[in-house]
Amino acid sequence: MSEATRIEENVTCLGCGCACDDIAVVIGGARIREARNACALGVRWFGDGSLPGAIAGGRSAAIEDVLREIATLLRSARAPLVYLAPDLTCEAQGAAIAIADQLHAFVDGVTSSTSADGILAAQRRGRASATLGEIRNRADVVVFWAVDPAASYPRFQSRYAPNPVGVYLPQGRRDRTVIAVDVGAQRGPDDADVRIQMTAEEEQLFLASLRASLAGRALGSQSIAARVTELAARLNKARYAVVVTDAESPPSVPSGRADSLIALTQSLNATTRCALCTLRAGGNRNGADTVLTWNTGFPMAVDFSRGAPRYTPENAAGARLAHGEFDAALLVGNTSAIPTVVRAALGATRIVVIGPRASESTLSAQIRIDTGVAGIHESGMALRLDDIPLPVRAVLPTPRDTASLLEALGSAIAAQGVGP
Amino acid sequence: MTRLRITGGAVHDPANAIDGDVRDICIENGRIVASLPADAPTLRVDGMVVMAGGIDIHAHIAGTSVSLGRRLLPEEHALDPTLAPPLDGGSIPRSGTGGTVPSTFTTGYRYAGLGYTTVFDAAVAPVAARQTHAELDDTPIIDGGFFALLGNDEYLHRQIASGELARAKDYAAWILRSTGGYAIKIVNPGGIELWKQNVREVKTLDDPVGTSSVTPRRILEVLAGAANELGLPHPVHIHCNNLGVAGNVAMTLDSMRALQGRRAHFTHLQFHSYGGERGKSWSSAARQVAEYVNSHPEVTGDVGQVMFGDATTLTADGAVEYLLHTSTGRKWINSDIELETGCGIVPYSYKEKAAVASLQWVVGLELFLLSNDPWRMVLSTDHPNGGSFMSYPDLIRLLMDRAYRDEKLKSVNQKMLAGSALADGIAREYTLNEIAIITRAGPARQLGLAAKGHLGVGADADITIYSRDTDYAKMFSTPRYVLKAGTLVVEEGQLRRAPAGKRIFVKPGFDDTLLRDLGKYFEAYSSVRLANYSVTGLRDAPVPTRDA
Repeated sequence: MSEATRIEENVTCLGCGCACDDIAVVIGGARIREARNACALGVRWFGDGSLPGAIAGGRSAAIEDVLREIATLLRSARAPLVYLAPDLTCEAQGAAIAIADQLHAFVDGVTSSTSADGILAAQRRGRASATLGEIRNRADVVVFWAVDPAASYPRFQSRYAPNPVGVYLPQGRRDRTVIAVDVGAQRGPDDADVRIQMTAEEEQLFLASLRASLAGRALGSQSIAARVTELAARLNKARYAVVVTDAESPPSVPSGRADSLIALTQSLNATTRCALCTLRAGGNRNGADTVLTWNTGFPMAVDFSRGAPRYTPENAAGARLAHGEFDAALLVGNTSAIPTVVRAALGATRIVVIGPRASESTLSAQIRIDTGVAGIHESGMALRLDDIPLPVRAVLPTPRDTASLLEALGSAIAAQGVGP
Repeated sequence: MTRLRITGGAVHDPANAIDGDVRDICIENGRIVASLPADAPTLRVDGMVVMAGGIDIHAHIAGTSVSLGRRLLPEEHALDPTLAPPLDGGSIPRSGTGGTVPSTFTTGYRYAGLGYTTVFDAAVAPVAARQTHAELDDTPIIDGGFFALLGNDEYLHRQIASGELARAKDYAAWILRSTGGYAIKIVNPGGIELWKQNVREVKTLDDPVGTSSVTPRRILEVLAGAANELGLPHPVHIHCNNLGVAGNVAMTLDSMRALQGRRAHFTHLQFHSYGGERGKSWSSAARQVAEYVNSHPEVTGDVGQVMFGDATTLTADGAVEYLLHTSTGRKWINSDIELETGCGIVPYSYKEKAAVASLQWVVGLELFLLSNDPWRMVLSTDHPNGGSFMSYPDLIRLLMDRAYRDEKLKSVNQKMLAGSALADGIAREYTLNEIAIITRAGPARQLGLAAKGHLGVGADADITIYSRDTDYAKMFSTPRYVLKAGTLVVEEGQLRRAPAGKRIFVKPGFDDTLLRDLGKYFEAYSSVRLANYSVTGLRDAPVPTRDA
């Protein structure tokens, strides 16, 4: 590199929910040249940091006029949607939720489409969990339940478990037992110490039998008894077990997995210690759930249409869009990461997009304002997959800061009168 | 509004020895001043009661554990949707949900609606402090701060184990600085770490925590010493071992004796004042605890009253919550946090017909009524653990109105009340000045907040004005006026304005050679980079420490 470069150290990557905060980003010529320490997924997420900076589709080029235009559009809607796509800081998420509250809109994000099962199960049962630092330092038995983190959470094993040395695991990987549970085609890591296999059809019976076995009751079925007994024995012998599951790619058919794994990991605490670790994808998804929760009391699918939050997880954004319930939508964040089922259903709705590469969005949006990506162009807070809050830092300038822009939009909406 | 004269009210300002005198309170630029020109705007409050704004020394309102609790309770929130209040100008009003763990905006509005203007969150995992600040930013009106959890921290334990007490103190200072915290909090010293190791009971203050050189006693001594040497405005804030367990009074008194002669605050003492024997019997031991506190001026406490109705138990003390989960069958969250602390949450209901809940209710009231010095035994429900902060007015009525209290006592389960002081009859009724002490002047003094909890010249103009009512619960639940830093936030009983509150924190000094050793520890064991640990960007000025 002949041009002058600078290195930003200790940058947090939001490529997946691991939120590795040890990335050294090399910048040269206003481009990201390298993301050191990042995995392939992280390198892709950082990209070269280049972004368009356009305001497209408005009647004017002046941002104040465009915000007024958006305010009018949203306020005139009978049933607006505010959608939190990934790659937002918690600050931007909060500002978008405030707008939804002002508009008496429906607010939702990707969680209701991708990870609702686990959240609803945890609302029924609670959850025994641990943060990644605790798992790193304490978990001597690590069960990967139908997930190999290598693909979607590439540094999970090297940063958190099972590889690192921990306070109670001075020899790192050698002090831990890794158990891969393969459920049909959903396989655990190849280098596991123990492998337990089952078909997708067997999973529920297996989990039920495992819980029965741990409770000292008879097993349900001879066909799986040996496997159940083996896993039960290993879990019981653990000093501190962790069961890792992927919240983002649940079984294609609702299987009760999330619910059963919660019950299993909770009940193991009768005899030993055990935590459930649910993997989440990138772009500050846990942030969206948590910021929505502190604002409204609910983590997703919140309906403000009666003036106060109502929780409708059974009728979330995807289903409502499919029924044509919304007549306007404000999409905030990285719209390319919006689940296909939601994108497809946006069709006839009047759309405003505020987010990185909004101007290049293939959605038929009336107004599109380019902003930056949280953690690359915008600073603030983001939550790791275990809800640990981390700072994210702009390493390149943003075309315009999403949180500030949304606050200005909130003021523009307020200026047009109180209430919808 | 930059100037205001409040005139005609009976002022209850015990910090300045004013007990119901009718006098003017003058406000200029958010503070109380000696006088104002005759043409200054006037608020007539004839016949009303004027006090400083309420101060909650111990509640759980902001941060990861609180939001985990919120997420756990959709059914509660669904029953208590809260419309955005109609506010005048400035801030955009926000809707929310209530229940025992309300959303942030609703928390701010409701506290202000009760006349409370300052609230401390009592338990924040240092690694997650930035979320507490973000939530406090979304909790309007009230000034807020928090206590940083430090009684089960691996790095601290290592310093104690190796006798590096100066470094332990520096670490405590660094934690407060880097989190923007206000005081050092100990929850179940050593017991959370033991719970993570599957050791579920702390039997004595000398139980080893990994190594015999680290014990609950050493943790208490080292952190109490650190807080006092650092000149923190609030001493170490202690949640003792064995919360909620029959017979735990022995541990509570041992803990107090371990720190004899040193400033220390013992929190939600109701939960730590039980006689009897684990698994066998329960009784009130409030008298023993009250007598100890009465005769030891270095000790302060808050009660942690249990109020009948729904609550959410939410604590860093994970082991307790596991027991509550198994004994009630209610849903349960546990989160073990980063070699620092833990978190457990179980929804709960205190029922009059339940023997233990009735005993707990009695123990709390006895602590209030048997404590001679209200300055050192202040009001809390450990919100939302013993009940919501919304129950404070009813609690005040129980303290001020013996007839009401005795009537209520008859309706509770009597099984475990034999021999308790309250069952035998306690005549004491709190006066208005005593209420002012346990809800504002006392907490302010315990917290070392010079400009809070009183109405003298220079104080923050945080003021609550009540219409008199013989039903004290009614009187204290609907103040007529509330001023926050001189702004009228409640007028004629209606919330009208919601300015942002301030952050209350300290910035003690430390020897930065700590950072070399701490850097190595982070490198070896932390999942977060040292460079990313500290909270930045706090706008308000820190409260000075004595060393600064």
